[in-house]
Amino acid sequence: MMVVALIGILIGGIIGFLLPYTYNTAYSLYISIAILACLDSVFGGVKANLEGNFNVKIFLSGFFGNSLLAALLAYIGDRLGVPLYYAAIFTFGSRLFDNFASIRRLILFKNKSV
Amino acid sequence: MKNKNKFIIGIFSIIIGITIAIQLKANVEAYVPATIQSIQDTLKEIDIVKSEINELNKIIEEREEELKTLEQIAEGDENIIEVLNSEKQKIMINSGYTKLEGPGISIKMYDNPDSEVVGFDIDDDIIHDLDILNILNDLRIAGAEAISINGQRVMSTSEIKCHGPILRINDKSVGTPFIIEAIGDPQLLMASVNAPNTYGQILKNVYYIGFEPKIEDKVTIPAYDGDFTFTYAKPKGEGDI
Repeated sequence: MMVVALIGILIGGIIGFLLPYTYNTAYSLYISIAILACLDSVFGGVKANLEGNFNVKIFLSGFFGNSLLAALLAYIGDRLGVPLYYAAIFTFGSRLFDNFASIRRLILFKNKSV
Repeated sequence: MKNKNKFIIGIFSIIIGITIAIQLKANVEAYVPATIQSIQDTLKEIDIVKSEINELNKIIEEREEELKTLEQIAEGDENIIEVLNSEKQKIMINSGYTKLEGPGISIKMYDNPDSEVVGFDIDDDIIHDLDILNILNDLRIAGAEAISINGQRVMSTSEIKCHGPILRINDKSVGTPFIIEAIGDPQLLMASVNAPNTYGQILKNVYYIGFEPKIEDKVTIPAYDGDFTFTYAKPKGEGDI
């Protein structure tokens, strides 16, 4: 499962490099925060899949909702002059590691009862 | 079911990969958010750089004119002695070796004449080197072009040092009353020492030091009578004009 996500990111990376499309660098902060939120969603999805309670609706809403909220937070923070995007970085960053820790345990002890 | 989940996660991983790759391609150097304040700071910086460029362009124009006159000299159109003399005159003025005259102000300063002591200390009632230095600084900020104290031209190398009841300026001793004369915009110079909350006003109204600034139509500033000899400083030969 983990392998699927990693290979997917790799393939996507290759496609992205080959595509001639680029966006305005002014949005790079928002996009990077959104990428972090998306990564968190995918890791959460992998974890849920390994645990056997994966739900497409929850996954999709998390994927888009989280990334939009993170980008919005970064944008509002930018307007207000307060770096609100730190909230997104800390939340999704720590959740990313939590998810990864769960995935590691699930994969390593797949055949044993922990 | 399991395969479908894998497929969905794979698809979205690919989406993330594409965004990351595009982000990498955008080649953003620093992830510092462009806040409104940083934009304004950058605008100010741009303004400063622009004005610097303007000044440099002006300097270039001046230099080109100088070059033209020099070329004319080389061609023999103008008398070289005349040009050198005017150049010498300019340098003499800049270096303070000429008597100067112009509108400005004169300030008479003397110790508190009252027999009563104002502060706790008798030191509060007399003029110190620092008082004079502060006044000089105020005058320079107001654009004073030439300054003298009791007939001593104040140069960039002039020391103003407490010597007990007297001051030493240009290695000469001067005593109270100190008469500071400055050439410049008279109104501006007057404001720099006479406006509320300036150092001069505090001296006058808080310490009751004698402080009488006066606008003069014609102030004469004597020439510097010392000489510059540099023992240690040698020209580096870079950026010579």
